Amino acid sequence: METLAFQGLVGLSVAMYLWLLAAGLTIVFGVLGVLNFAHGSLFMLGAYFAFTFYGLWGVNFWLAIALSLVSVAAVGYLLERFFLRHIYNQDHAYQLLLTFGFILIFDDLVKMVWGGVAKIPPMPDFFEGTLRIFGRPYPFYNLFIIGAGLLVAVVLWLIFEKTWWGKMVRASASDREMASAIGVNIPTIFTGVFVFGAMLAALGGALGTPVRVVAPGIGSAMIIQAFIITVIGGLGNLKGAFVGAVIVGVVSAYGILLFPVFELFLIFLIMAVVLMVKPQGLFGS
Amino acid sequence: MKKTLAIGSLVVFLAILPHFAGQYILYMTIHIMILSLFSLGFNLLFGYTGLLSFGQAGFYAAGAYGCGKILLAFPSLLAGIIGGVAVAGVASFLLGILCIRHTRIYFSMLTLSFGMMIFSLAWKWRDMTGGDDGLVGIPRAPLEIPGLLRLNMTPMENYYYVVLVFSLLAIYLFHRLVHSPMGLTLQGIRDSETRTSCVGISVRNYRLISFTIAGMYAGLAGALLPPLESTVTPPIAHWSHSAEPVLATLLGGIYTFAGPIVGAVLFYILKDIIVRFTEYWLICLGVIVVVLVLGFRGGVMSIFSGKGGQG
Amino acid sequence: MSDIIRTEGLGKYFGEMAAVHEVTVGLKEGLFTSIIGPNGAGKTTLINLLSGYLLPDRGRIFFRGTEITRMRPDKRVKIGISRSFQVMNIFPRLTVFENILLPVLSRLNKNSRPLASVRSQKEAVAEAEKTLQEVWLQEERDSPAGTLSHGDQRLLELGIAVASNPQLCFLDEPSSGMNPIERVKVLELVKKLSAERKTTFAIVEHDMDVVFSLSDWIVVMNRGEILAEGKPDEIRDNKEVRDIYLGEEI
Repeated sequence: METLAFQGLVGLSVAMYLWLLAAGLTIVFGVLGVLNFAHGSLFMLGAYFAFTFYGLWGVNFWLAIALSLVSVAAVGYLLERFFLRHIYNQDHAYQLLLTFGFILIFDDLVKMVWGGVAKIPPMPDFFEGTLRIFGRPYPFYNLFIIGAGLLVAVVLWLIFEKTWWGKMVRASASDREMASAIGVNIPTIFTGVFVFGAMLAALGGALGTPVRVVAPGIGSAMIIQAFIITVIGGLGNLKGAFVGAVIVGVVSAYGILLFPVFELFLIFLIMAVVLMVKPQGLFGS
Repeated sequence: MKKTLAIGSLVVFLAILPHFAGQYILYMTIHIMILSLFSLGFNLLFGYTGLLSFGQAGFYAAGAYGCGKILLAFPSLLAGIIGGVAVAGVASFLLGILCIRHTRIYFSMLTLSFGMMIFSLAWKWRDMTGGDDGLVGIPRAPLEIPGLLRLNMTPMENYYYVVLVFSLLAIYLFHRLVHSPMGLTLQGIRDSETRTSCVGISVRNYRLISFTIAGMYAGLAGALLPPLESTVTPPIAHWSHSAEPVLATLLGGIYTFAGPIVGAVLFYILKDIIVRFTEYWLICLGVIVVVLVLGFRGGVMSIFSGKGGQG
Repeated sequence: MSDIIRTEGLGKYFGEMAAVHEVTVGLKEGLFTSIIGPNGAGKTTLINLLSGYLLPDRGRIFFRGTEITRMRPDKRVKIGISRSFQVMNIFPRLTVFENILLPVLSRLNKNSRPLASVRSQKEAVAEAEKTLQEVWLQEERDSPAGTLSHGDQRLLELGIAVASNPQLCFLDEPSSGMNPIERVKVLELVKKLSAERKTTFAIVEHDMDVVFSLSDWIVVMNRGEILAEGKPDEIRDNKEVRDIYLGEEI
């Protein structure tokens, strides 16, 4: 029993990384109508930048995270402004192909700059150590991650419900023409949203550096789960992304414990069931 | 007439290739033929039916592992190849039922997901697939029809001919298919699903047929691999392998018959050249994809047919 | 004269809004019917419900006495109902000939043959050629349909709709988005098809000249409900109908 509860907690911390990744993915899709295949690469870049600032150059942990967000924001800006923008109104296939091309580029770019070997950055001092929960040692850092994930959820809710920018973005998402007619600068909003989504992904990657491996391909491995999460939760739906992330994270964790080898199958099964019963996602419309 | 002459010359050329080419060229040509089959299947789905699949490597792997396991237990080349195709066909049919009910983006992401699911299985299910070591020691079994013939496959030339015959046959069948009423139906689905349904056709059924056939072509491509390499390992199921037919087809020309084949040839030539200069092959692949998508939709074949370009 | 298609209490709702509400109507076989009404009256929704493109929330639909309420659109085509779309819906990458050939093959149940060549389907090819000429597009036979002029695409749209040899054919605003010259041509074709084929046509149309010159029967919709139906003269004299058009010359 305690093992199960503990494993659930493990799953919850993994879920937070997935939540950060899925949140950006689903926001970008909801507003721009683009499914960015390379979103996982932004997560990966976030991890690599954070590792460089914090692990290699000894910058303060929080500053390193901030710098990492800024760096990935710049990458996201370039991606949207110079590449993605050209194919907004075209067949979805070309968007997918384009962003797929970028996954390949980023994966090798990362190897070129940082080398192909996995990195394991150090844990910041103030997070060292564990807490005994359910009879087992649970890393402090994971508790921090869970807290951070919840904080981001609240902040996102505030942004999209209460701020002027958030409302503008929602207006653009639901009716592009109307928003444009009342003076909203759609291209700017789009770039802004894309960069915002990129920063969320980067945050996920950056926050993961002390406990997770930093290696090429870590983003692509997660993008599939992120996609499954958005399907379960509903494309474009933040609440759905959060719930979906928790489901996927926790079920994965249980899968690894109880049915190793087939844990990806379990997630896939859940997605298949959701698609059959409510194709627009649990919270979709 | 000109076309038939060109194709005829090509077939003759391929038939006599072993007489003047070395082992390496034969080996490369076999790989080109395998990629051609893989890409033709992909393009049946994409260029002809309008479905973009990023998971074809999963069916390639199904064919490869299927063939490998059969050959390890029962060394008959025909059994291995046909068995591999059958495994891939069943897998694509079953997974197809799940995938084809969904719209374009969902479909693409679903295919990516199950492709990686197959990869995950191949990697972790040690008992069945050998895990990350894969299947080893697969024999290049003789081509045997009991009572009729038994051809030793040890010389590469012999295996080359087997691959050539299977490839030509598969290409011929593909040609018949895309120029048939069914081929027209698939293209109708690509152009407008609503319209196709409103002329009395059940779109879902045909998407499933297309998906299954594409899976079988991927499976055939995969099944031709183990006798050549004698090992089968998990990376062949990874999405980065699914990228190869995508790139080959983009390079050669999406909406054309020969595009995937031309693209497969170009792909290997490019890879051969690039790998001599740098180990960073993926980034070059990615750049080529980006350039093609942004500027050169029709691929190489568009130069010849005048169609294509900015899609 | 019997109803070729009729509905009982048909309803379709989007949230609070009733697109179509309590619609009970029958279209008589052999009569050219026009469905008219102001924007948002529910005309296109009704066509969508009758052709299977949308499923109703309430009510039933009968085609020649058989219930087809929830039948899929492709099955409805097989039993003899076809339609054209207000927003052009052709096969852009196929040639004009192939656009017509596909519905013919489907009607003859020959579209699933995987190994025969298209050319060898002599019966289908001959019929498609005939239909091609019928809609005045034989010159454009081998052009990709997407390269046709807007007006010619409309003719093709009609051609696809009649190529399945329907008993009942819905045309949703067949002349929308056309310049005056193109409109005349399209409406001439509609008139010709109606006269020469054994198909019952029902069109949604805004141009009152066309409506009153072509129709044997008119159905007027307003706010999702049937306001009135009858012969053109009856409708012209109907006060309620005149009111909703606010004094327009009808």
